[in-house]
Amino acid sequence: MGQLVVNGLALGSIYALVALGLLLIFNTVQIVNFAQGQLLMLGAFIGISCAVTHELPIALAWAATIVAMALIGVVFMLLVYFPLRGRPPFLVVLTTIAMGIVLENLALIIWGPLPVSLPSPVRGPPLRFAGVVISMHQLAIFGTLAVILLLQFLLLTKTRFGILMQATAQDLHTARLVGIPVNRTIAVAFALGAVLSGIAGLLVAPLFLAEPTMGGGLGLKGFVVSVIGGFGNLPGAVIGGLFLGLIETFGARYISSDFRDAYAFIVMIAFLTAWPRGLLGEKASEKV
Amino acid sequence: MSSNAHLRSSIAAACLLAALASEARADAASCPAQIPLGLTTALTGNLALLGTQARNGAEFAVDEINAAGGIAGKKLQLATEDTGASSTDALNAMNRIIEGKPLVILGSMISPHVFAQTESVNKSETPFLVGATNAKVTAQGSKWLFRTHVHDGQLATLIPEYLIKTLKMTKPGIMAVADDYGLGASKGIQAALAALKVTPAAITSYAPSDKDTSAQLLEIKDKGADSLILFGRPADVALVMKQMGDLGIKLVTIGNSSVVAQTTLNNLSAAEADGGYAIGGMIPQTSTDPKILDWAKRVQEKYKVPADNFTVSYYDTVYMLKAIIEKVGCDKAAIRDALAATKDWKGLLISYQADSVGDLAHTLGIYKNKGKTPELIGPIKEAGY
Repeated sequence: MGQLVVNGLALGSIYALVALGLLLIFNTVQIVNFAQGQLLMLGAFIGISCAVTHELPIALAWAATIVAMALIGVVFMLLVYFPLRGRPPFLVVLTTIAMGIVLENLALIIWGPLPVSLPSPVRGPPLRFAGVVISMHQLAIFGTLAVILLLQFLLLTKTRFGILMQATAQDLHTARLVGIPVNRTIAVAFALGAVLSGIAGLLVAPLFLAEPTMGGGLGLKGFVVSVIGGFGNLPGAVIGGLFLGLIETFGARYISSDFRDAYAFIVMIAFLTAWPRGLLGEKASEKV
Repeated sequence: MSSNAHLRSSIAAACLLAALASEARADAASCPAQIPLGLTTALTGNLALLGTQARNGAEFAVDEINAAGGIAGKKLQLATEDTGASSTDALNAMNRIIEGKPLVILGSMISPHVFAQTESVNKSETPFLVGATNAKVTAQGSKWLFRTHVHDGQLATLIPEYLIKTLKMTKPGIMAVADDYGLGASKGIQAALAALKVTPAAITSYAPSDKDTSAQLLEIKDKGADSLILFGRPADVALVMKQMGDLGIKLVTIGNSSVVAQTTLNNLSAAEADGGYAIGGMIPQTSTDPKILDWAKRVQEKYKVPADNFTVSYYDTVYMLKAIIEKVGCDKAAIRDALAATKDWKGLLISYQADSVGDLAHTLGIYKNKGKTPELIGPIKEAGY
């Protein structure tokens, strides 16, 4: 039982990390980026190229990946969001799906179909307590999630830039009229969203191996946990992620492993039907 | 001329015509300047690794044959279409291949793709050689379809038998990938265990996209299994074996070739890989023949992807076709008949022999990982071969 809790929380933390990247972009431009999972995959492969292919020290590989992902985030915005801004949101959303497919095929061409592993940034024997094994890497995932949640919360609520992002999200045109550098704000949001996905990729690759199609499922789960948590709410996404990780793990153990993937979508539909605001979502009227 | 003399001369003329026709059919020089072959395989999507390994085998053989002068001076021309991971795309890919009027079609190693494609190929009356492993692929009643890879029906019998009778395990857990490939094998394994009067401790599966199999592994451990029968593709088998190591679960593990595939072992530590058994299509890395090891090395160098059992199978398929075309020429029906009459044709690692339904591979390898190095315990033949 204890082991299931640990593994469920580790899995849920990864879903939450994907969701945090998704929400950073959503909270700025009100667009759901369905290529967030593929950005995660890119982060994993860039890390592998640095740490495994070019044998850079793991800290340097992480730093290089974070810089590369920030640039990729900006390029992504220029290709996907900018040409379609002002158009109906569903067009941008569809373009993110298309871009996800492009990124997957690009990764297949560049890195090939072989699954590859990335060394963990933390080494050491696992902790063992009452028969429960917690690896150092799992602890690193929990720690990274906590730090990123805190930093993101502080960024959005305590910094001027965070307030600019929120203003841009509330009303883009008014934000521009009052002198907010809207384009730069959006570019930073996409860069940070891609960086968060990249970090998730760097954490996933040592645990699950990296391969070009790894992002699709994880990206969708990131969307599901955002819905469960209350779309746009950061602590909600984290709680939703941990909740979904536990549901999947316990469902696979005690109900049936055949439907493991289905649990996520059953839970999402249940929330949308019975509790559409999600766990910590605001009332729609409060946002007006 | 008497009626008898007339009859004799008619028979003689008929024999002469038949002989001439037969001579024409057997003449490889009568083949077109470019002998068209078609291949549909998964080059994108989550089955891309398997599809690429098969494509590599076929393409490597075609390149070798062409570099050596082709077949009677005629070059092989291989047209490849990507099936992705979807059966609909596989059918579309096959229709595009058929439009090119290939002499022979090499199909996918993914069974649902082959099921979707078979009717179209039957209508085109083209020999269809596949590596798809679902036992029912060759039970479709197609006279054009042949399989050059061992199938799950063979594995489903041999794996439980080896585990129970040779390794003396009594309470296995089962874990299989939840798709046509894994679930079909899991059912066969359960039936074989029942015939051996063994009840599995736990029967589990994982979706092809699953990244965490700890719940299934813990269930198998908690229910007291002494061994694990693991059936999946290299990427997910590597993940399961890695997670077993992470959780400190030590069970005698036996599965399909994925347990000893190079792509699996590249992602495991020696401790995680050590002791894993596999029964399946023969892999080249364990051979003691320097020529075969050199072949595997050349394939790896050319494609940057290790050769596996499917690479071997598709490589052999192209050379088998070469031998047949040299013998019977470029007549589709004659090629089909020659495939159906295959007897002890020696491939890279095994000999091929056609049975009544079109299965040509009946020899499997039993392997064990010593650290990260797979070792061949021995070949094993399907009953009756």
